[in-house]
Amino acid sequence: MAERRRPAVSAALSGLTLAALVVLVFALPRALPGDPLAALDDPTSGVAITDPELRERVLAHYGLDQPLPEQFAGYVGGLATGDLGWSIARNAPVSGLVAAHLPWTLLLMGPALLLSTAASYVLGILAAWHRGRTGDRVALVGLTALRAIPEYVLATLLLIAFAVLLPVLPVGGARTPFAEHGSGLAALADVGAHLVLPLATLTLSLTATLFLLQRHTVVAVLGADHMLLAEAKGLPLRRRQFVHAGRSALLPLLTAVGLQVAFAAQGAVFVEAVFAYPGMGSLLLEAVAARDYPVLEGAFLVLALVVLAVNLLVDLAARWVDPRSAAS
Amino acid sequence: MSAHPTDAAAPEGGLRALWASPTARVGLGLLGAVALLALLGPLLLAHGPRELVAAPLAPPSAGLPLGANAVGQDLAAQLAAGARTSLAVALLAGAGTVALGGTIGLAAGWFGGTVEAATMRVVDLALVVPRLPLLVLVGAYLGPSTPLIAATISLVFWPGTARIVRAQTRSLRTRAHVRASRGFGAGARHVMRRHLLPELALVLAAALVAAASRAVLLEAGLAFLGLGDPTGASWGRTLRDAIEFSGLFYTPAWQWWLLPPTLAISALLIGLTLTGVGLEGGSNPRTSRHRPGATP
Amino acid sequence: MSLASAPVLDLAGLTVTYPGPPPVRAVDDLDLRLAPGRCLGVLGESGSGKTSLAKALLGLLPEARVEGRLRLAGRDLAGLDEAGWQAVRWRRLALVPQSTASLHPALSIGAQIAEPLRVHEGLARGEASARAAAALEDVGLGAAALERTPEELSGGQRRLALLAMALVLDPEVVVLDEPTAGLDLLSRARVLALLGRIRAAGTALLLITHDLDALRGLADDVAVLYRGWLAERGPAARVLDDPRAPFTWGLANAVPTLGDVKDLRGIRGAPPEPGEVVQGCPFLERCTQAVAACEQRRPPLVAPEGEDGARLVACARGGRVPVLRARGLAKAYRPRRGGRRRGEVAAVDDVSLEVGEGEAVGLVGPTGAGKSTLGQLLVRLVEPDAGSVELEGRDLLAARGADLAALRRRAQLLFQDPYEALSPRLSVAEAVREPLDVAGVGTPAERDAEVAGVLAEVRLPSSPAFAERRAHELSGGQLQRVALARALVLRPKLLVADESVAMLDPSEQTKLLALLRDLQVERGMAMVVVSHDLAVVLRVADRVVVLDEGRIVEEATGAELLAAPQHPLTAELLAAAGRPGALLGERSLARQAR
Repeated sequence: MAERRRPAVSAALSGLTLAALVVLVFALPRALPGDPLAALDDPTSGVAITDPELRERVLAHYGLDQPLPEQFAGYVGGLATGDLGWSIARNAPVSGLVAAHLPWTLLLMGPALLLSTAASYVLGILAAWHRGRTGDRVALVGLTALRAIPEYVLATLLLIAFAVLLPVLPVGGARTPFAEHGSGLAALADVGAHLVLPLATLTLSLTATLFLLQRHTVVAVLGADHMLLAEAKGLPLRRRQFVHAGRSALLPLLTAVGLQVAFAAQGAVFVEAVFAYPGMGSLLLEAVAARDYPVLEGAFLVLALVVLAVNLLVDLAARWVDPRSAAS
Repeated sequence: MSAHPTDAAAPEGGLRALWASPTARVGLGLLGAVALLALLGPLLLAHGPRELVAAPLAPPSAGLPLGANAVGQDLAAQLAAGARTSLAVALLAGAGTVALGGTIGLAAGWFGGTVEAATMRVVDLALVVPRLPLLVLVGAYLGPSTPLIAATISLVFWPGTARIVRAQTRSLRTRAHVRASRGFGAGARHVMRRHLLPELALVLAAALVAAASRAVLLEAGLAFLGLGDPTGASWGRTLRDAIEFSGLFYTPAWQWWLLPPTLAISALLIGLTLTGVGLEGGSNPRTSRHRPGATP
Repeated sequence: MSLASAPVLDLAGLTVTYPGPPPVRAVDDLDLRLAPGRCLGVLGESGSGKTSLAKALLGLLPEARVEGRLRLAGRDLAGLDEAGWQAVRWRRLALVPQSTASLHPALSIGAQIAEPLRVHEGLARGEASARAAAALEDVGLGAAALERTPEELSGGQRRLALLAMALVLDPEVVVLDEPTAGLDLLSRARVLALLGRIRAAGTALLLITHDLDALRGLADDVAVLYRGWLAERGPAARVLDDPRAPFTWGLANAVPTLGDVKDLRGIRGAPPEPGEVVQGCPFLERCTQAVAACEQRRPPLVAPEGEDGARLVACARGGRVPVLRARGLAKAYRPRRGGRRRGEVAAVDDVSLEVGEGEAVGLVGPTGAGKSTLGQLLVRLVEPDAGSVELEGRDLLAARGADLAALRRRAQLLFQDPYEALSPRLSVAEAVREPLDVAGVGTPAERDAEVAGVLAEVRLPSSPAFAERRAHELSGGQLQRVALARALVLRPKLLVADESVAMLDPSEQTKLLALLRDLQVERGMAMVVVSHDLAVVLRVADRVVVLDEGRIVEEATGAELLAAPQHPLTAELLAAAGRPGALLGERSLARQAR
């Protein structure tokens, strides 16, 4: 779990993964029965085409009448210039759609990762320190259960609790529709109010896993010889907890955070679905419903890219925290 | 489908040890409750999950213990059918993941060298792939059906199991008593049967439970996202129908439409997790607390 | 304990109990004092409570109950709250832990040494760092170590860093937990030299170790712990060079020291399990001189017989008892050759000898030096012309009749020639049984059992077929073992072995010497090994007595003898031992040790 990789290696791995994904995204629709424009033949989808001549023209338009290698070269070339394709259902460039949705997802994922990391760091240390006491047991059982239930279930429960039974927060969306805000601050407050429940859901979900790991690591550290010496040195409690024990547990925690990034992205998709939050998840779901494959592929690739990029950042942070990982 | 998914994999002694752990008992109890729901539901309920039998949003009554949804389907029947789907996916995907990951991890740990290096590179790669989007993609293209979903989940999740099994195999292989038995001429088959598999049984059982729990999570998740089997029932689908029904929260119907599948998924997943915690506790006897008197 | 000034550390009745079940008393009613500028060594096996003691001194035992008085410079530390302890820790009482893993693996050495300065003295980062650099220079590590992580330092360097950390606030007392453990000899020497400087600067050192040589060089006083209980306490030279508590004696014989060629001996058995409640002396089961009184109650601390009280021993018998005490022994022969009297020849002339419990003394000397005569005098096989022999405190020479017979059984002689020592007519079983029959000990069945037991003890086959063999059917080694079994069957407290290995081939010689050593561990007898072969004697004897023309010309431990023989005869014997090359090596090793 806590295997450390050199940044160069992890960057190479990330690149390789990305390449594999690009190939997969390119190959999947072409390898499967039917063709990427299957939706055009599907009478249930909104873009069904019955006229064969029109179909030929659409195929030519997307370059699907060319040999595969040329198709691939064109596809990769397009990706390199930021061209993610053309949405069939919305008749708009996929990159434009992604640009509209990605910020909301980043607004959700970034703070959720930061908050859950910070909360796990502190709570894990405190729980480990007071292991076996009531507070620790409650946190342990509660977060174990919390880790088990999926984000959309947690989201639903939070929604019921804080938007229905106790209607203090909005039910969904990222902004109050058609609202005129007197000031920029009020608009910001509106965005904030809409962010609370989705962010809380994702943060809690991530914290459950990270907390359990952090507590486990710190419990192991507490028996270490250097913890006894820290106490012998007459250091105050907080320093022993958060500098001595915490420093030892920071690297495993960061490694785990790296592994959690993919889950954060996945969780964001679900959370957005429940709260009708206009991020990448919602885009993905609309694309699924409309069988809008270019959007599906584009959104998928961008999400994967985000995950890999955050992973790389976490690796760099780990290197900064513990220079030894560079030497090994 | 029969009882709990753990029965098949845990060895005799392990099962007894499992029952001794209060955590695992609660977990097994929850699993048992879900299994009962799946088994007895169709016998006790009058309607199928897709039949239109009542007025839209009908509240719970004698014939409809959980009322009806917006199109008048029996929600209790949907809950029971969803339990069957969840358990089926749990068993299929759990077994598939463990079979695939167990075999590959065992091979990697046993043979070492190039086999191990190559396998673990693949595992490394696979572990950073965002799984759900991939599943969404695969599900969208392949068309949804429960066995297919289970197979896809196995294909996505084997690397985690392979990694654990490889680590365990490697550590077992280098342990003195295994090296000793190789030293007195025991063959690979003997070492596997006598030393590796018994030790790995608990690890595999824990992996099975973990995979089953992720399978349940993802099946319901895919259904929730609208990628589930359109002909089958699923808790995720019931949940999605409820969430997507605009104005749900302006009626009391959320109480019998939204809440039961939410709680059912939670119960099954918490049950699996607690069973897994119990299994892990059983596989590691060194969980005793720090005894200060041990090193005066 | 001799004290120059008021103690800086004063423990009385200190008891540390870990809650059960069962409750474990790691430190039991401990009294210790430590004055400024002095070093108190604490010696003990693993599990003797040394580390619990160190933790108790720093208030690091929240999980245990700590009772008794614990005073630092007159102020009682018992009952301090967490803030109170934090003010004491490191500023006044610092610890050098045993484990070099005590350094935080991810923080730089400099940051860790500067930490107490920043926390306790509120120094700014730069100033603290400068002081840390100075501290590292002081211990000889150099400021270059400041930026390193522990991983980049060797074990010896880490130990020095830990020392620098302990000294950075100039505490009154430094507690050192095995500071030399795991160090190579050069690092060890550096650490010891540094500790000597610290002590000279007025810091009090509490040195917890099982490194006897380190204690010899550094400690003023030594306290010996056995299962948390004080077994012996006194000036270092006395405790280490002349241990009186049976446990200290056993420990001293179990620890390898440089320059010693004597075989190491363990202590028989194992200490009581933690948590086991012991009524009497905790060392009872492993002690070879236990008497009924030892089972009754904990032995009090007493001064050994004839001492001034500077050293105290917790032993109901007042410490290791002398088994044999011979004074002024003299024996002269009047040779009559062809009826002419040529005057008397003194075989033994005014020889005094003491052998204690569990001790082996070697008697060496050239042929005709009087070794064998002395050996026979000690067990009264020859009557002396003058002098006295006390065996377990009773006068052997004055005893008569039944008393004498009983006393004789306590002292046995093992002869040089096993072929002559055993009657050719007796079977092995009969020969070994004979002393029991003569003494009328027990029933016949008990005697047979005793015979079988003692044969097993000397590692002879216990089959009936072997027991029926006669002397001429046995090899020399087997015969000598039968003779030994015969000598041991009456459970003597003194065994005199007169050239007992001389006639055996080298392999049998080695086995018999190992057997004698093991018997001593188990039975704790006093042994006198008479031999002309110094190499043999050095292997088994704790002390060597060199005889020449009936007089003792030198008496020393093997190591002393090897390093610096005082008498020309001893040097001659060493040279004659025929291993000049090996001796040279050993001699230089022995010099290093001093």
